Amino acid sequence: MNPHANMIIMSSLILGPMITITSSHWVMAWVGLEINMLAIIPLTGQTTTTHEQFEASIKYFLTQAAASSLLLFSIINNVWNTGQFDITQPTNTLSSTMMTAALTMKLGLAPFHYWLPETLQGTTTMMTLILTTWQKLAPLTLLMMINQSLNTSLLVTLSLLSMMIGGWGGLNQTQLRKIMAFSSIAHLGWMTMILTLSTKLTLLTFYTYITLTTTMLLTIKLLETNKMSTAMTSWTKSPMLNATMMLNLMSLAGLPPLTGFMPKWLILQELTKNHMTIIAATSAILSLLSLFFYIRIAYYSTITLPPNMTNYSQQWRHKNQQKPYLPLMIITSSMLTPIMPTFMMIL
Amino acid sequence: MALSFKLLENVFLSSKCHRQNALHPFCGPLLTNCISKLYSSYRRPGTSPDNTPLWKMNFSFENGVDWIKKNFGLLKKELVDHVKGPEGRGFEEYFLEQTRVVWEFRSQKDLDEWVVSSDAEIGGKSEAYLKLGKNNQTALLFGTLSTEAPRDGETGYSGYCAIRAKLLKGAFDTKKYYDWSNFNSLYLRVRGDGRPWMINIYTDPYYSHQKDDLYTYFMFTRGGPYWQEITIPFSKFFLSSWGRIQDDQYPLWLDKISSVGFTLGDKADGPFQLEIDFIGLLNDRAHTEEFAYEKYERNPKA
Repeated sequence: MNPHANMIIMSSLILGPMITITSSHWVMAWVGLEINMLAIIPLTGQTTTTHEQFEASIKYFLTQAAASSLLLFSIINNVWNTGQFDITQPTNTLSSTMMTAALTMKLGLAPFHYWLPETLQGTTTMMTLILTTWQKLAPLTLLMMINQSLNTSLLVTLSLLSMMIGGWGGLNQTQLRKIMAFSSIAHLGWMTMILTLSTKLTLLTFYTYITLTTTMLLTIKLLETNKMSTAMTSWTKSPMLNATMMLNLMSLAGLPPLTGFMPKWLILQELTKNHMTIIAATSAILSLLSLFFYIRIAYYSTITLPPNMTNYSQQWRHKNQQKPYLPLMIITSSMLTPIMPTFMMIL
Repeated sequence: MALSFKLLENVFLSSKCHRQNALHPFCGPLLTNCISKLYSSYRRPGTSPDNTPLWKMNFSFENGVDWIKKNFGLLKKELVDHVKGPEGRGFEEYFLEQTRVVWEFRSQKDLDEWVVSSDAEIGGKSEAYLKLGKNNQTALLFGTLSTEAPRDGETGYSGYCAIRAKLLKGAFDTKKYYDWSNFNSLYLRVRGDGRPWMINIYTDPYYSHQKDDLYTYFMFTRGGPYWQEITIPFSKFFLSSWGRIQDDQYPLWLDKISSVGFTLGDKADGPFQLEIDFIGLLNDRAHTEEFAYEKYERNPKA
């Protein structure tokens, strides 16, 4: 891509969420979301190697544009009813419900999740990384800012639905990016579950999710594997990275004592404190679905090795691409649970 | 939201077309001999439009009950298959398979999965038929090709015959696709008459502006009494739209295959015959080519 265009697009991509996060006026927040969306569209369809990327960028644009228009409508409705544009002021029920719908559509929460697996499957791995991490920042921040106006029952329902669909949908997937999409849906469910009870926990879950997802997608990119079939023979490229990928997957699944266990533990504790024991138990059971497919990837990629027959030829090891930050990210995604009290104090 | 869109679509349809289209989503399964129009309202040229008045249509609750039973059965099967693995088969089977037979012709039910067409639809004089071969072991596609153009004042060319597999449908007529991402070649066992055929693979893209996109390659038959085993890698298929080869070529998207077809259009008048034993897939580990056609920039920078 033209370096000037690239510079404008990247700066807009960074600027958009910053405007949204720092604004207290609804229209400015919406403008930030729009800048962000318009900046990411050319990035999702920039390479022309497959027409899947064009389809993915069009799908992403249509969904995000629909969500933005719904959000703008809810903002106008809120202004009509309350007479003010301040994000932190309570909104009326209809506006907050529409805002919830719009923001969940932007995030890819169930039942507005249909675009996410297809879009992530069609784009490149780096775009998948941006779409699952950076693009979640602005809508989640808005949800956190309006959390006192949100309907807890609605959010709990959406989050349970997301956990269920994220786990169920990823069950028989063979494409790694689609699996990461369903993983994203399930994790967003955990984040929104605790939103009205403790925004700090939502933030902690989000940071943990970003760390784990970034590590996983960078690993996938380094191993140059998009499918489980190529993941099975990727150990030849980097056996150590293959082994740490297993740890990262277990962390995504939320197994103790890895990092991913920490937010889930705290969320379940918070739910139990608020007498939502049944919901906590249901969430824990629904996370077993995600656990199943994470373990399956780990089993096929790391635990099964030759001389077991595989149907796929072993991959050649190309020039070693060194990512100096990846070891730190792997440590962060695996070993943070023992220092959990520090995070609680910071947050 | 989906329901409201469907209702709006039907309101539009009822204003433009026969009211039967508007009634279809509500009581289509109850109508006897009701052909599903969920994919398109296509009517084959030469057939008269169906203007049956409302009071003459045969409503049958039995049909409705059968439809409900069939679709809920399909839904249950889809849910169970989802737990088993990709396309209802376990992961070990998915990873270890190297060949798969997708279509074989052993009974009339197998033939019913295919649609035969020719230029008779546009007024041409070609004929094509599909029947079971000897001992019900093969499918025989035969007929006569005629390049005589119909005299309608607008058609300049004619002369094609084709068969195409029907689209896969899931519960409640949802679209389903074949996932061939585990394979890299199409394997056919055929016995032809020396004519060149075109094999078309349809991937049913998401957006309607790409609905005429087809991936095509050629199958040259030898003729004679001996069977021919043809392997065509998917990397060789090129993209065409509305019959025109596209400048921007892309590799075939193997996890969303809708249909496969065979077309004869070699401009040679006369009888033709193609016998097909089976159509399958092969994971040829010796074939490492990803895509056969280079992509070039139409306006390269100096």
